Amino acid sequence: MNSTDIIQAIKENIARVIKGKPHVIEMSLVALLARGHLLLEDVPGVGKTTLAHSLARSLDCSFKRIQFTSDLLPSDIVGVSIFNRQKQAFEFMPGPIFANIVLADEINRTTPKTQSSLLEAMSEAQISFDNKTYPLNQPFMVIATQNPAEYHGTFPLPESQLDRFLMRLRIGYPSPEEEKKVLDRPQSLHPAEELQPLLTAQDVLLLQEQVDHVLMEESITDYLLAIVQSTRQSDLLALGVSTRGALALSRAAKALSLVRGRTYCLPDDIKELAPIVLSHRIMVARAQGLRPRSFEQAERIIQDLVDTIPVPV
Amino acid sequence: MPFDQALRFASIWLAATSFIGLTLGAGLPGWLAALTGAALIVAFLRNGGSKSVEQFAMAPPISTAGWNLLVIAGFLGFWIDMLWVSDELLPAGIHFLMVLMIVKLFNLKIRRDYLHLYAISLVAILTSGSLTTDLWYLPIFSLYLFAGVWTLLLFQLTKHTEETGTLTPSAPMRAPLHQSAGHVTPQLFWLANGLALLTFSLTLAIFFAIPRVSAGFYQKGFGENIRTSGFSETVNLGEIGPIKRDPSVVMRVELSDGARREAGRLYLRGVAFDQYDGKTWTNRMNYRRTVSEDGTGSFVLRGSRSPAQTPLGETIRQNIILEPLDTPVLFAAPFIETVSGKFPSVQSDPTGAVYLPFPSSSRIEYSVLSRSTPVLPADLSPEPGRYPESFTRHFLQTPVQSERITVLAKDITQTQRTAYEKANAIQSFLIHNFRYSLDAPLAELDHPLEEFLFSRKTGYCEHYATAMVMLLRTVGIPARLVTGFLATEWNEYGNYYVVRQQDAHAWVEVHLPYSGWITMDPTPPSIENAPDVYPAWHALGRIMDTVRLQWSRFFVQYSAADQLAVVRELKAGSTSARNKAFDSMSALFSPVLAMFGGITKYAATGTIRPLVEVLAILLIGIALLLWLGIKRPWVKGMVGKRMTRNEEVIAQLYGRMVQHLAGEGIPKRTTTGPLEFVHLAQAKWNDANSAVASITELYCRTRFGHIPLTQEELSLAEDHLRHLMALDKP
Repeated sequence: MNSTDIIQAIKENIARVIKGKPHVIEMSLVALLARGHLLLEDVPGVGKTTLAHSLARSLDCSFKRIQFTSDLLPSDIVGVSIFNRQKQAFEFMPGPIFANIVLADEINRTTPKTQSSLLEAMSEAQISFDNKTYPLNQPFMVIATQNPAEYHGTFPLPESQLDRFLMRLRIGYPSPEEEKKVLDRPQSLHPAEELQPLLTAQDVLLLQEQVDHVLMEESITDYLLAIVQSTRQSDLLALGVSTRGALALSRAAKALSLVRGRTYCLPDDIKELAPIVLSHRIMVARAQGLRPRSFEQAERIIQDLVDTIPVPV
Repeated sequence: MPFDQALRFASIWLAATSFIGLTLGAGLPGWLAALTGAALIVAFLRNGGSKSVEQFAMAPPISTAGWNLLVIAGFLGFWIDMLWVSDELLPAGIHFLMVLMIVKLFNLKIRRDYLHLYAISLVAILTSGSLTTDLWYLPIFSLYLFAGVWTLLLFQLTKHTEETGTLTPSAPMRAPLHQSAGHVTPQLFWLANGLALLTFSLTLAIFFAIPRVSAGFYQKGFGENIRTSGFSETVNLGEIGPIKRDPSVVMRVELSDGARREAGRLYLRGVAFDQYDGKTWTNRMNYRRTVSEDGTGSFVLRGSRSPAQTPLGETIRQNIILEPLDTPVLFAAPFIETVSGKFPSVQSDPTGAVYLPFPSSSRIEYSVLSRSTPVLPADLSPEPGRYPESFTRHFLQTPVQSERITVLAKDITQTQRTAYEKANAIQSFLIHNFRYSLDAPLAELDHPLEEFLFSRKTGYCEHYATAMVMLLRTVGIPARLVTGFLATEWNEYGNYYVVRQQDAHAWVEVHLPYSGWITMDPTPPSIENAPDVYPAWHALGRIMDTVRLQWSRFFVQYSAADQLAVVRELKAGSTSARNKAFDSMSALFSPVLAMFGGITKYAATGTIRPLVEVLAILLIGIALLLWLGIKRPWVKGMVGKRMTRNEEVIAQLYGRMVQHLAGEGIPKRTTTGPLEFVHLAQAKWNDANSAVASITELYCRTRFGHIPLTQEELSLAEDHLRHLMALDKP
């Protein structure tokens, strides 16, 4: 089976659980292959957790779920040292972060201290505890969910930390027909539990390596940079996209090309990914009646900016 | 008719006219003419959309490699043709040209192919022009001109649409633009034909109006020549003075060895005068004799010099470009032996001056072989020589003059014995005791010579020369005054002397009993023209003068005779090239021949150079083929910018598709990605989807993925495009 077929199989596998959301499934695969982390932002109950769960089940990978609450401590994520009476020494008990796919549910419910302990792991792919460094398992992917910031009792993630996520996705409500299919399903079992793993962790690493070999033609790189540049110059934005953001868009475009079965990027890839990869990395200016933390607002601004940049032909 | 189809028509038309021109010029053998004609007809029908031809064209029987092989075969055929069949470069070249034209006609895919076709047809029409002088060339050429204007226009128009790829949708004027864009409208039709007609009539006008008299009608000097002084039959003393400040160029003199004279100056002799009446010099020996041409365009002067002449003197070969002057005198270094130039006839007088029958109204060029007179040893010995009676009558004449001159002459020469020594004494007397000045209004005086010699002691060349002649004659030595130019200004960029009006000069010729006439100059070098020191802008002036001279020589004076000379040279060159190639070939194969013939004494030496030549010719040929470039292997190795041929083809196909869709009301914005456009097109026109998607996929793959296309994929894309063009949008 070549990579295209594998990816297609995984997509179909997840689609058996997440009905009517092929785009979301595809994007979460892109995040996985681009060695990125995913931020799902939506109202409760639209399948955020299920998506993460079924992705993990489709791969033969370890999966841990952390429910973030306001009293969660960093040690609840990273792990603790316990005194072992037999050995007369402290022993490190790894926390739930030591898994391939970690679902950080409602990440904005916890305190910034705990948030940052997770985010450190996300960028370094390792954990430092008691002067010792513990590398995390590979592949490592964090799927964080959060409820929109308007809700009470949340600690919004700062922009610097949002930057660590490759993309921010919305799932949205399913269409009535799809919703009906969900309701018709037998309730005894969690739907994700019936999925069969299709890939080993090793296979995922190989696919991630293939992403690096996807060709991005010079004119497309220029196109990407033009988009990034435009966010820095736009009057509507207080903060433009960082270089890490440009890098993320490039990686995501390559991964999307691979997911779509190509060995080269197209301008369309960039165009499609720009809103979801860039929108959480910018700050909307507090002017002209714009709401600075609105998801839709930011996406629309990016979309409008992209629509002004000529595509290379 | 859409632009690209019209462009193809016009291009084929262009090729066809040049082909007809060649055929009528009898430059083609029958079979090749038939083949090319057939190819043209097929190309024409194919473009016109004939179904059966379309079938043939859609499945081309020959692949790219096949075409390449055909070109290589044609190239080999060219050599065989040149060496054995037609034996000459030109016909063989024409045959090869036609082979190239056939190949190109079947490979008109990208814009470069069109350019190649234009180049081929241009060469063809030029060649046919050189092959014939018949009347039919006029209509053929005018047809060619019309086609040329059309192709230029359409080429530019299609270039524009293909470069932008899309029609910008922002402007509100898009809708009317839609109707006309990409199609030949009646306005365009008349515009193009009008332009062609205009060009044709302009060409005719230029053809008839450009002067062939080697001078512009309104140019300074046309019909009104540069006024000179001192070269008519009589010269008043002081006449040269006023022109000594005029810097206009009179002539340019090239020497055969290309190098400047050692002395740095060159005397250019005009006319000699024998009689002086106290104020005016007259040439009494002015009966002119017509010199006959010797059959090679040269006029040989004989007997114009003294019988004592010897062939011992130094010869100078000069090439002189003479501006239009008001005198018919031909100037040259003393003494003229042969004059060659495009003159109907040349006259000479007994003093050695050479004249045209009348002053030329245009710039003329002639070359002269001159031989100077050395002083023979016999004249250095004290033994006095004798002069014939005619000399005493002509060259010892003196006007009525004061006794003081006689006394002075005796005074200077009394210690000298030979004529040469006496002349030298007078010369150095004048050089050292007098001051050079152009401000000497001696002409108005009654006795200018006495005034010069005894009171003012300043003057310029005429006064010095007159004084010397008179002093010489007083002591019995025959002498005469000569006018001409003294060239000192050397143009180091063009390697020639520039002679100006201000270089007008007068000097003396002294007759020695044994040597004959020798040149002497009593004038001291003037302070005013200090040679070799000039500011930098003078250098610029000299460069400009060189350019002007070359322009005059190669453009203004380019005549039918020159054209013939070029043709002759080319012909000779081609024959020699052929011979050379033949020699090298035989040298190359001679070891083999020697082996077969059992000739053992073949020496390997000497084969290396011809071998190198053959290799060089082969290399040039291969380079040419690669340039014509059906395939360019090095492009593959380059990353990025350069596109391979297939890439170019698919890019153009894609461009045409986008253009076509825009015409059907589905414009592609500049901000629309290729896949996005596919969806857009699908939403608006579902039937077109498969073609659009397939062409887009192939285009994206080569453009952004750098994955080379196969020939099959390319023809698939072409089929899709054709299919798309044939579809009717609901």
